Amino acid sequence: MTDGAVPLPVVDAGADEPAWQRLHAATLALAVVKLGPRSLNFLPALAAIGIAGRWAYVVPALLVFLLVSLVFAWAAWLRFRFHVGTDEVVIESGVFARQHRTIPFDRIQDVSIEQGLVARALGIAKVGFETGAGGKENDASLDSIALDAAQALRTTIRTHRSVPAVPTVSGSAPDAPVEATEDRLLFAMGPRRLFVAGLFNFSLAALAVFGAAMQFFDDLLPFDFNIFDPRDWIDIAEDYGLDAWVAAHRWVAGMGAALSLIFIGFASGVVTMVFANWGFRLTREPRALRRTRGLTTRTDVAIPVRRVQAAIVMTGWFRRRFGWHELRLQSLASDGGKEADHQVVPFGQYDEIDPVLAEIAIRRPGEQAEWQRSHGIIALGGLAGAVFAAVGGIIALALGQPLGWLAFAAVPLIAAGAIVGARTHRWTDLGDQLAIRRGIWKPRVTLLPFASIQSVDLRTDFVQRPLGLASLAFGVPGGSALSAHEIPAIPAETAQALRARILAAGGRA
Amino acid sequence: MTDIAAAHPTDPFDPAAINAAEGLDPVDPAFTHVLRVTALLNMVPLAIGLSVADRLLMPAIDGPYGLVTTLAWLVAAAVVLVFPSRRAQRWGFKIGEGQLRVARGWLFRTDTIVPFVRVQHIDVGQGPIERWFGLSHLIVHTSGTHNSTVTLPGLPADLAAAMRETIRRHIQTDFA
Repeated sequence: MTDGAVPLPVVDAGADEPAWQRLHAATLALAVVKLGPRSLNFLPALAAIGIAGRWAYVVPALLVFLLVSLVFAWAAWLRFRFHVGTDEVVIESGVFARQHRTIPFDRIQDVSIEQGLVARALGIAKVGFETGAGGKENDASLDSIALDAAQALRTTIRTHRSVPAVPTVSGSAPDAPVEATEDRLLFAMGPRRLFVAGLFNFSLAALAVFGAAMQFFDDLLPFDFNIFDPRDWIDIAEDYGLDAWVAAHRWVAGMGAALSLIFIGFASGVVTMVFANWGFRLTREPRALRRTRGLTTRTDVAIPVRRVQAAIVMTGWFRRRFGWHELRLQSLASDGGKEADHQVVPFGQYDEIDPVLAEIAIRRPGEQAEWQRSHGIIALGGLAGAVFAAVGGIIALALGQPLGWLAFAAVPLIAAGAIVGARTHRWTDLGDQLAIRRGIWKPRVTLLPFASIQSVDLRTDFVQRPLGLASLAFGVPGGSALSAHEIPAIPAETAQALRARILAAGGRA
Repeated sequence: MTDIAAAHPTDPFDPAAINAAEGLDPVDPAFTHVLRVTALLNMVPLAIGLSVADRLLMPAIDGPYGLVTTLAWLVAAAVVLVFPSRRAQRWGFKIGEGQLRVARGWLFRTDTIVPFVRVQHIDVGQGPIERWFGLSHLIVHTSGTHNSTVTLPGLPADLAAAMRETIRRHIQTDFA
């Protein structure tokens, strides 16, 4: 790496002492901001001082706490240094216990750049190195350096990695506009699309939170108005002299409450969608898909194409009628710690999703694909749940608890859900990949290439064995352990034949 | 063991027949003893605890003293004497052409296949009870999130080491 176009202090090979760099000085400002939430930990101590009756000591104690925290932040900053060599990154950290870490460029799978709200104002960014070492704590990060330095560092590492693939990348300043012209844009979301996606993101969960908050803060609010309460709507009507009319038409008050409920559901959907996906861009780079998004916290994540293990196409029962789908990729690296899978198309039509899938050499089963069904016996678990609910209801009623009727009301719902849900379990074999479909409320299709399957479980139990059935479970890298890829309850011979085909294909890969 | 003596080779519920029908090798018979000692170490303190609780609690609430104690020791005896041999015989494994197959359980039977090329690394472990009977267990790690470790217990120590060597020759990385 000797191209001078990269504005990064690349070390001379002959230098005795490598050029150590520090984190951006603005990181200290960030530490001050972070101190706010952290000082909450100190509240119990302050409360203890207060309870002891020594109020005079509260402010000095707080000041001492802030001062000590700042000194520690400053010491940590002072003792943190890194240098970017010709083919490795070296990081030294630790105030008392020194840690020296060397990360060869070859082992860095992914460089992510993340900017929070304050970091954006300061023009700094956190650089994360994904090495696939497993576990968040094993991955190094530079928190934080200047944004242009972060982008230059990533370009350096990427260029090093893609030398065989792209021999001449030099000569271009590594700033965002130039990169955008270099890389092919696969998918982007404009404000209009975000708004539509947000409307479909109608969320009753957010509503429940909002409702709980209204209950909780009811006494604290400066105005006494609970929009969920029809009585408040009657009150407001009185103010405008409409009370007689409203009293005659009580349903208007109910409508007002219902409409505001619906409005909040839609608004929260739009707001969460806009905050998460503002300026969404998915681009194709020589070796990776790169995704930038976010309104306040901007993230910039690269997903190496070779590391993609499976694709998941999700939708909802309602948005599906309009052809809207979501594409997630299961990769070795997890998406920002919160999500197991990388969301690469949050909201798009099939003609937008298919090109993205083509980039990672995964295809969707066509319209004429022959889907095979799982046996209906998988409804048994849900039916057993329904029976338990019925028994619980009987016991409750026998004890004179009228809530038992609620359990009885749930019985047909649980049973119907189990039976209908069981019918949606389908799968098809596409020759070199599997497609597994499930779900009715949120239908999802998992596209699983044989080559990503690490191990296969063939399971039977005392229910499935007499019916000649078996379930297949696949060990696939990445994703969450909770959502294993599974084909439940298919004929045992079919399961064995499928397992043999998958393992034969895996052996070739 | 009475249940083994009673088992007939053509009995479809005979665990040995399950392994034979699926082309699997049984684990070492000494694994029964490992399971039995482990069960003993688990059940005896539990039974003692229940006996003490029975002694202290039942007189206080005028309950039938002795019932819980008897049941606890009967269950403990069943778990220690009867179950280990059945559990041990329902483990089966096969070192196949380029793949390891491990099957376990009957009520809930799981039959796992791990191709050697997918193995990340291998452990051969030995606990104190296993050492007593000259056994080891083999743990195969894959990069899958589900099934990231596949354990095969009840192997003679030299066989476990030999299997480790066999698998190690096949391990290769497919990383870019």
